[in-house]
Amino acid sequence: MSEAKTRVPIEAGFFTVPEDREEPPRLLATRCNACSEVFFPRRLVCAKCLSQDVSETEVGPRGTLYTWTFVHFPMFGSSNPNMTRYGVGQVDLPEGPRVQGVLSGKRDEFRIGMEMELELETLRENQAGDEIVIFRFRPTEARAS
Amino acid sequence: MSLHDVAVLGVGMVRFGAYKGGKTLTELARSAGFGALEDAGVNLGDVGEAYVGYMQAPIMSAVKIMKEFGLTGLPVTHVENASATGSVTFRDAAWSVASGRSRIAMALGFEAMTLMAARTQSAGRGIGRDTIDSVILPAAFFALWAMRRMHERGTKPKHFAQIAAKNWNYGAKNPFAHRQSDHVVTPEEVLAAQMVSDPLTTMMACPIDDGAACAILGTVEEAKRLHPDRPVIRVRAAALQSERYTPGHTFLGPVVGPASMTHTTAQEAYEAAGLGPEDMDLAFCHDAFANEELEYYELLGFCAEGEGEKLIEEGQTGPGGRIPFNTDGGLIARGHPGGPTGLAQIHELVLQLRGRAGARQVEGARAGLAHLVGGGSVCAINILQRDS
Repeated sequence: MSEAKTRVPIEAGFFTVPEDREEPPRLLATRCNACSEVFFPRRLVCAKCLSQDVSETEVGPRGTLYTWTFVHFPMFGSSNPNMTRYGVGQVDLPEGPRVQGVLSGKRDEFRIGMEMELELETLRENQAGDEIVIFRFRPTEARAS
Repeated sequence: MSLHDVAVLGVGMVRFGAYKGGKTLTELARSAGFGALEDAGVNLGDVGEAYVGYMQAPIMSAVKIMKEFGLTGLPVTHVENASATGSVTFRDAAWSVASGRSRIAMALGFEAMTLMAARTQSAGRGIGRDTIDSVILPAAFFALWAMRRMHERGTKPKHFAQIAAKNWNYGAKNPFAHRQSDHVVTPEEVLAAQMVSDPLTTMMACPIDDGAACAILGTVEEAKRLHPDRPVIRVRAAALQSERYTPGHTFLGPVVGPASMTHTTAQEAYEAAGLGPEDMDLAFCHDAFANEELEYYELLGFCAEGEGEKLIEEGQTGPGGRIPFNTDGGLIARGHPGGPTGLAQIHELVLQLRGRAGARQVEGARAGLAHLVGGGSVCAINILQRDS
């Protein structure tokens, strides 16, 4: 893909899109100033103690795989012809939130408890030629290999 | 008046199935509604209030459909709570009678999922998928439960397959079930079916359905007046809860919500009923995926945590067992259109408590529970008991 293309999030307000394609994205979260609980996605009221004294924060890019599955159907919203099957998982971030999302990798790669890292996946292009992206997790060790 | 003074006067339903427009929504709703009114021995003039469940409802659908039964001025309210929609219409109708607002109330649910599936397919991939939580197949959520349980408890896919096979074989005995297998379904056959989302196969998942179901509720006095020959079937509990924040809570996805919601809702329902799991003779649950049923054995209190596998291995939730689950085939075989699903559970539970459930009759059934979750984010539990 051309470096000149702009990457646009599928929906604003959920994750960062770094200019440097080598840099992992981070998730846009909320920290409660009263009880310190952290939430993804962002919210205006603490779900634990109902305080409205909350601050914006960023979380990730690393976490631990809590559970996973592998879906044997093409991904909704993706025009990538290779996206005929895909992983889905829940990842526990050290900051607190458990995040449900798409996984990148093969079916036999995933193990509960393994370290995962955020990246951006291009779903399709919009009419302006921008890449529509969504966050996903991949096994951290996959990057080294 | 209390909830315990409310009785089920009549039930009706249309066999669930993929009618694909062969029966219109109006035809479906009319058959179920008139069936229930006739079973109760009343007409719309006797009904004081109606609750109508339809998940994909355009504006004013509830009132429009109710005009099929007559124009009497009765208050009509539309209800939507995903899979639990029908269960909630039942709860609202029960409380309408319990509060004294009506002497007889109607709960009606209908849906045509095949038409929605056709619309989604014709729209094509990528169209209308503009939100962050719309890319993942909803089935993946319950598969995530299954994979975690296998990791924690050593549960095997064969346990899920045994539950699915049980429900398929119950469905074959139920004329109202969508899936009526012409042979005995084995766990091996379930395991060999196409994989949807590991470890769940198509035969461990509910089909795409159309259908309708209806229940008429009223005071116990009305029940005795209308059908002195029938046992009175009382509402013992009609509980509904939404998500409460739990450790490890997930907020983002096509389906979210903690499994513990079933446990807290069951506690509320048992307390309201003055009954416990030991008093139940049969139960119904949200078996949209077979592994859910295993979790609910524990969350509904029918066995201790970690003992669900033993319950299924011993056949305790099947024919002749201690607590038969989903005797009408459940969501997996009877079907799961959405709007009417909770009322189909009530339909089967009432037949069972009347002793009229044919080949799938639970001997001497006196009390039963019907559970559904909706979108993972709400849980509804209704408990019925027959006077001895």
